[in-house]
Amino acid sequence: MNRDITFGQYYPADSFVHKMDPRVKLILVVAFIVAVFLVKSLFSYIAITIFVIVGILGSHVPIKSILKSVRGIIFVVLLTAILNVFFYSGGERVLVHWWKITITVESLLFALRMALRLIFLVLGTTLLTLTTTPMNLTDGMESLMAPLKLIRFPIHDVAIIMSIALRFIPILMEEVNKIMLAQKARGADFESGGLMKRARALLPVLIPLFVSAFRRADELALALDARCYNATPHRTKYKVLKLGWRDAAGAFYSALLIFAVVAINASFWGLFGFSLSV
Amino acid sequence: MSIEVKDLSYTYSVGSPFQKEALNGVSFSISEGETVGIIGSTGSGKSTLVQHLNGLIKLTSGSVKVYDIDLSIKKPDFKQLRATVGMLFQYPEYQLFEETVLKDVAFGPLNFGATKEEADAAAEEAIRLVGLDFEEIKDKSPFELSGGQKRRAAIAGILASKPKILVLDEPTAGLDPVGKREILRLITSLKKSYVKTVLMISHNMDEIGEYCDRVLVMSEGKLISDNSPQNIFADESILSGTGLSLPHTARIRRMLETQGVFLQGNPLSAEALAYAIADALGGRS
Ligand SMILES: Nc1ncnc2c1ncn2[C@@H]1O[C@H](COP(=O)(O)OP(=O)(O)OP(=O)(O)O)[C@@H](O)[C@H]1O
Ligand SMILES: [Mg+2]
Repeated sequence: MNRDITFGQYYPADSFVHKMDPRVKLILVVAFIVAVFLVKSLFSYIAITIFVIVGILGSHVPIKSILKSVRGIIFVVLLTAILNVFFYSGGERVLVHWWKITITVESLLFALRMALRLIFLVLGTTLLTLTTTPMNLTDGMESLMAPLKLIRFPIHDVAIIMSIALRFIPILMEEVNKIMLAQKARGADFESGGLMKRARALLPVLIPLFVSAFRRADELALALDARCYNATPHRTKYKVLKLGWRDAAGAFYSALLIFAVVAINASFWGLFGFSLSV
Repeated sequence: MSIEVKDLSYTYSVGSPFQKEALNGVSFSISEGETVGIIGSTGSGKSTLVQHLNGLIKLTSGSVKVYDIDLSIKKPDFKQLRATVGMLFQYPEYQLFEETVLKDVAFGPLNFGATKEEADAAAEEAIRLVGLDFEEIKDKSPFELSGGQKRRAAIAGILASKPKILVLDEPTAGLDPVGKREILRLITSLKKSYVKTVLMISHNMDEIGEYCDRVLVMSEGKLISDNSPQNIFADESILSGTGLSLPHTARIRRMLETQGVFLQGNPLSAEALAYAIADALGGRS
């Protein structure tokens, strides 16, 4: 366990994408996800790929950090791809036929396409979390949820709960790290033994962790009360979110992508053997 | 030689934007029987340094040797090492977890391969050693104890494994003055009878001046001085730029000097200072 895996994995840098408004980024990521589900033909895949590459280049995040997130889901991607190859029914161009298993060109393409989609989804959302601090993210969500106020949904409370939770994840990670070191110094062994033994070995970490989490929650509640938190209904913000030219540019660029995907889907439909709809 | 550290360097999170050089070419050795203080401002690498002594941080550059356990080989015997070096972390009371104090204190020896009976016996000895009432406390939950008692129980948890070297990371942090004094007294008495070598990190210069016979000064990952407290606290030149100050005793000595009263040597405990002042002013009564 180390600091590399702090939740949200924010990568500090001074880039175009970092400077965009979190609300815009959130909307764009949703739009991107929709676009990923719309892609059908080879050309729209190329369009999406270009879009992602430009996004990554515009974020100044080293490719290594981004690929790390893909590495985390590679197992899921491979598993679904294999299942897709075997269970895809249909397709004419048979490559392998053995017992009850038939592998066709179509099934391979289908599997590849699903795998690419998964990878795109992860890349898009990772880019968001890499370039936006958790605090900005919750601010953005709070602002986007504003219409829910009309139905008396306590968005502000939800937002503060979210930001406290996010803020505390790295703190608790550090705490886990400290407690583990302290127990290791007393000879605890977290690395060897079977599953049961390892699970049991975590008890000396989990109990102090819970104790300290409750203590911290208590202290925080006290501190919030002591500062009259929520005594006034209309809180102002320290950092006010503002839209800028970057947001307009980013939105325009994404609109272009979605338009391109839809247009490509419509006009090249069926022109290529491997552009069957899925 | 009980501890030998040569050219030790360490960098956290290499290759990430959070990369941080915590230690840079640190070398020293400590003989059996010494009480060594480690001082340095926040973030100077003290904790990183002592965690190496227990194999809690993987050695990446340089060498560390504790008795005949060489940490630069491929698979050092960590169990043996951790049984030899007892390590007390900052705020150690947060490592308590068992249902009863006795079980918690016996956790260490059990891990190091003692039988249940041996571990319980070692735990009883350790609990008595730190000055807790064994009969009253052994079946209590560690979470019911007071702050000072918790810290004692945590120290007992370290001592129960009978370490030869005791490493303490700010053992008195967060205690009231009486609690601080009691813990320091405990450490001194342990030093006389139980553990051989003591390494102590502290931000309190008074404690360091009074209780240690040697001081390592860390600054920005480097060991900038390794000397007796008398020499290190003789004037401000060594500590300048580290953000550390002199102990009160040394400051009083310097104030007296500006008034024309010169003391013999550099007394660092309140008692020694009082005697020195009495001597300087013309004999004790
Ligand atoms: N797990 C970690 N990951 C990254 N950097 C770390 C980690 N632990 C410590 N550091 C950094 O390494 C440097 C040295 O830290 P260390 O804890 O050794 O300092 P210290 O002298 O013990 O300070 P203090 O007096 O505050 O306890 C600091 O700048 C700290 O921010
Ligand atoms: Mg420290």
